[in-house]
Amino acid sequence: MRNIFVNLICAAGLLPFAISVVLAQNSAAPKQTPPAGGPPKPFHLPQLEKFSLPNGLQVTMAPFGSIPKVEVAVAVRSGSLNEPANQVWLAELTGRLIKEGTASRSAEQVAQQAASMGGSITIGVGDDVTRIDSDVLSEFGPQIVALLADVVMHPLLPESDVPRLKQDLLRKLSIEKTQPGALAHEQFVHALYPNHPYGRSLSTEPIIESFTEADVKRFYESNFGAARTHIYVAGKFDPAAVKVAITNAFSDWKRGPDPQIDIPKPVAKKQVELVDRPGSAQSTLYIGLAAIDPSNPDYIPLQVMNALLGGSFGSRITANIREQKGYTYSPRSQVSVRYRDGYWVEVADVTTAVTGPSIKEILYEIDRLQNEPPPSAELDGIKNYLGGLFVIRNSSRDGVINQLQFVDLHQLGDDYLSTYVQKVYAVTPQQVQEMARKYVVPDKLTLVVVGDKEKISDQMAPYLK
Amino acid sequence: MRPLLCLLACVWIMPMTTFAAPPDKSPARFTVTVEYYKLPNGLRVVLSPDHSSPTVAIGVYYRIGFRIEPRDRTGFAHLFEHMMFQGSQNLGKMEMIRLVQQNGGLLNGSTRFDFTNYYEVMPANKLETMLWAEADRMKGLAITEENLTNQKGVVSNEVKVNVINTPYGGFPWLDMPQYANTNWFNAHNFYGELKDIDASTLPDVQHFFSTYYTPNNAALAIVGDFDPADAKAMITKYFSGIPSVPSPKQPDIAEPKQEKERTATKSDPLAKRPALAVSYHMPDRNTPEYYAMGLIDQILLQGDNSLLHDELVKKRGYTDSVDGGINLLGNMFNYQGPMLWTAYLFYDNTVKASDIVTAIESQIAPLRDKPVDQAVLDRALVKMRSSFYDSLGDFNGFGRADMLASFALFDDNPAQINDVEAQFHKVTPALIQKTVTEYLRPTNRTVLVVEPKSADTAGTKSSN
Repeated sequence: MRNIFVNLICAAGLLPFAISVVLAQNSAAPKQTPPAGGPPKPFHLPQLEKFSLPNGLQVTMAPFGSIPKVEVAVAVRSGSLNEPANQVWLAELTGRLIKEGTASRSAEQVAQQAASMGGSITIGVGDDVTRIDSDVLSEFGPQIVALLADVVMHPLLPESDVPRLKQDLLRKLSIEKTQPGALAHEQFVHALYPNHPYGRSLSTEPIIESFTEADVKRFYESNFGAARTHIYVAGKFDPAAVKVAITNAFSDWKRGPDPQIDIPKPVAKKQVELVDRPGSAQSTLYIGLAAIDPSNPDYIPLQVMNALLGGSFGSRITANIREQKGYTYSPRSQVSVRYRDGYWVEVADVTTAVTGPSIKEILYEIDRLQNEPPPSAELDGIKNYLGGLFVIRNSSRDGVINQLQFVDLHQLGDDYLSTYVQKVYAVTPQQVQEMARKYVVPDKLTLVVVGDKEKISDQMAPYLK
Repeated sequence: MRPLLCLLACVWIMPMTTFAAPPDKSPARFTVTVEYYKLPNGLRVVLSPDHSSPTVAIGVYYRIGFRIEPRDRTGFAHLFEHMMFQGSQNLGKMEMIRLVQQNGGLLNGSTRFDFTNYYEVMPANKLETMLWAEADRMKGLAITEENLTNQKGVVSNEVKVNVINTPYGGFPWLDMPQYANTNWFNAHNFYGELKDIDASTLPDVQHFFSTYYTPNNAALAIVGDFDPADAKAMITKYFSGIPSVPSPKQPDIAEPKQEKERTATKSDPLAKRPALAVSYHMPDRNTPEYYAMGLIDQILLQGDNSLLHDELVKKRGYTDSVDGGINLLGNMFNYQGPMLWTAYLFYDNTVKASDIVTAIESQIAPLRDKPVDQAVLDRALVKMRSSFYDSLGDFNGFGRADMLASFALFDDNPAQINDVEAQFHKVTPALIQKTVTEYLRPTNRTVLVVEPKSADTAGTKSSN
C-alpha cells in the first residue's frame, strides 16, 4: 500500500528532476519504507466526576495530567444568539462589563486576587456560550472557584465603565472592518442567516453607541443563571475540595431562565457576493453552505469527508491550491457548528491574479470527491489522523474542557467521546462520497470574495451567472 | 562515516531541586526529567519521558535563524524551512506531511531569530517512524525547480496574508526589530522582500542546507510517553551515520548599546486607527538582570493586574489591551542574541502618541525611583511560575521540547530547565530597581507609531 503510493508520486514528477539536484549521496538508491512503529498504546479519557446542584447548575470535573495547574471554566448558555437585531455585540459588552468588579470586590481586587493564584479571569463570548475561565496553580483550585463565583453571580456591571468599553467596541469594529477575513466572514454568515443572530458577526456604530448600562443589566438578568450554566474543572486538583468549593459558592445562585432555543433556517441556494476592497493583494474566499449539526448521525462521517477534502494539511484542496499551484498559504475547510446548526466552508486567501483559478480548483476537488469514492489508503490515512488528533485534543486542560462542553451543548451523550474513534474508523469510502454529495451541493454553495473588484471581475464572471 | 559510539558520550543529568522558599502555601512543584547526550557526530539529544498521555512531541532544532541569513537573500531562512517539507531521499513531496497525518499526528516548522525548528506531535508508538523521517531529511534533500517555484508562491502568499494585505501587517513583530536595531543581522526584513524570495535558486538551497543543516548544528528533543533506552537505540540507528560538517564562524550579531531614543512612524494605507509600540533592548540572556526582566515583564505587562493595563486600559481608556513581552517570536528562553522587550497597543485617532509614551513612562518611573514592594514581586513570581508551567505543558509537551532544545543548542545544558524557577526566586527588589534603571531608560527606547493613511475621525465616526 505504502509502496504504491510512493511510486505514484515519483512517477508524477519528482524522480526525473531529483537526479539533477542531488543534495546528498545515493539518490538513485531504491526508496526505503518508513518503519511502522510499535503497537498503539491505550488512551484513556480522564475519569469524570459529575454532579449538579438543586438550582440546576451542572458540574464536570476531569482530573488528569502532570502539570500542576487547574483550569476552571464557567460556561453559561448566553451569547450572540440572545441578541436582538438592534443590539449586536451586547453579549460581548456584557462579557466585558462582568469583569469590572463585584458587589464586594473592585475590578482591581479581582485582577490582583486572580494574579496571586497565577492566573487571570478571561471572558470569551461566542454564539451560544459565554465562558468565564481561569487557569491557575493547582493549590488554588478552591479559591479560584470562589472568585469566579463572585464574578459570575454578583457582577457590579458599573455604569462608570460603560463609555470606555463602548469606545473599545467601536475601535474593535473599526479594525475588523479593515480586515479581509472579518469582512468575508460577515458577508458569508449574513448570506446564510439573513434574519438570525448567527448571521450578524459585526455590529454597527449606531448600535454600539446606543448601549446603556440598563441594556447590559437586562441582558445579564435574562441570560445568566444556574440553570443555564455548566462548570468544568480540568487538570491537577483536589476533587473533593473543589467540589465543596463549588457547592458552597454556587448553591445560592438563582436558577434563572432556561436557555433560549432559536434554531435558524439557513438559506440554501446559490449566492455570490463580491466585496470590493481596492488594492487587495489577495482575494479572501469563503465557499460553503449550511450543513448539519453534531446531533445528526452523519456528523462524524461528514467530519471525515471534511478532513480528506480540505480540513487537513494533507487534504486534497490544500495539496492542490497550495502544494501544487502555490496560489495560497493557509487554505482550510471546516464544519462550523452552533446549537442545532452547522455549515461547511472552505476559506482561503489567494493571490489576486489567481482568484478564478483557485475557485475552479476548489470546485474541481469537490466534484472529484462526489464522482468517485476516495481510495481506501487515502481514507485510512485520514481516519488515523482523526484518531490521533482525538488523543491530542484530549490531552490538554483546555482541550478536555472544549470537548466536554461540545458534548454537553449538543447533547451528544456520555458515550460520544468513548465511541468517537470507533465511529471514525467505521466510515467507508462510499460514505465519504455520499457525504460530499449530500452536504457539499454545488448549486447551493454561497461564494463570498473580498478583493479588488476591478482585477477579479473578469475571473469571477463564470461564477456570477 | 563515523563509528557508532553514541553511548560513550551519554550523560545522565539528575534534576536538582534547589528552589528558594516559595511565597505561597504548599505549592505543587514540577520537575522535568532530563537526559542529555551527544552523538559522536555532534547531534545534541535531549530525552524527557512523561507518561501522562500516550503521545510524543519531537523537535529537531537547527541553529540557523533568520538573523544570519545571506544579505542578498532576505527571507531565505524561512523559505528554506518550507523546502524541508518538499522532499528528501526517501520521502517525496507531500509524503512527509502525509506520513505524519496518516500516523495520527500533527507537524509544523518555524523560523525564529536563532533557530529553525521542525516538530511533530504523534501517538507514542510512532516515535520510530518520525525519527526515521527526521533523519532522512537531515541526511539530504531532493528538491526540484518545480517545488522551489511552488514554495516561492506559497511563501509570497504567506507574506501577503500576514503583512501586505492586512492592516498592521508585521506590526510590531516584524517591524520593530528593523527600527530598534542597527546591526543588519538584527535589523533586516526577515520575512523577506518579495524580490529576494523570488530570486532564490536551487544552488542557494543546496548551499544553505550543506552549511547549516548538519547534525553538529542541531538538537533533537523528545518529550512524552517513551522508554529512553528504546529511543536511544533508534536515534543511534537513524542519526549516527549522518556526517558532521565544520560549522561556519558565527557572524558578530552584537547590538551596540543604545544611548539615544529612536522614534519611527509607519504609514499604513489599510489601517483606520493608530497603533503604537515601545521596545527596549534586553539585558544579556541568563544574567541576573535578564531574570529580573522576566519579572518586570510580569509586573508591567502580563495580565490584567499589570501596571500598564491598569494605567492605559482602566484609568486612561486608551485601549482595551496592552500586549507584548520578551521576544515576540517566541518566549524569553528560546533565543540567543540581542533581544527586545516590547509593549504595544491599538488606540484612537483622538489620542496623541506622546501621551501614550508619557503614560507608559509614568508606570516605569516608580520602579526606577524605589525598590518594588515585596508583595508585588511575590505576585510576579507566582504569575511567572504559572506561565512557566503552561510552557512545559503546551501542545502535548512540545513547549517543553522547545525549551529543552533551546537550552541544548544555546547553553549546552538542557537541565537548566529545572533551575529557571530558582533563578527567578533570586531576584530582589533592589535588582528590579537596578534593571529598570539600566534597561528601561528612555534612551534605550524605540517608539514605533503606525499612522493610518485615512483615519477614522474623532475616533468614533467611521464612514464605512
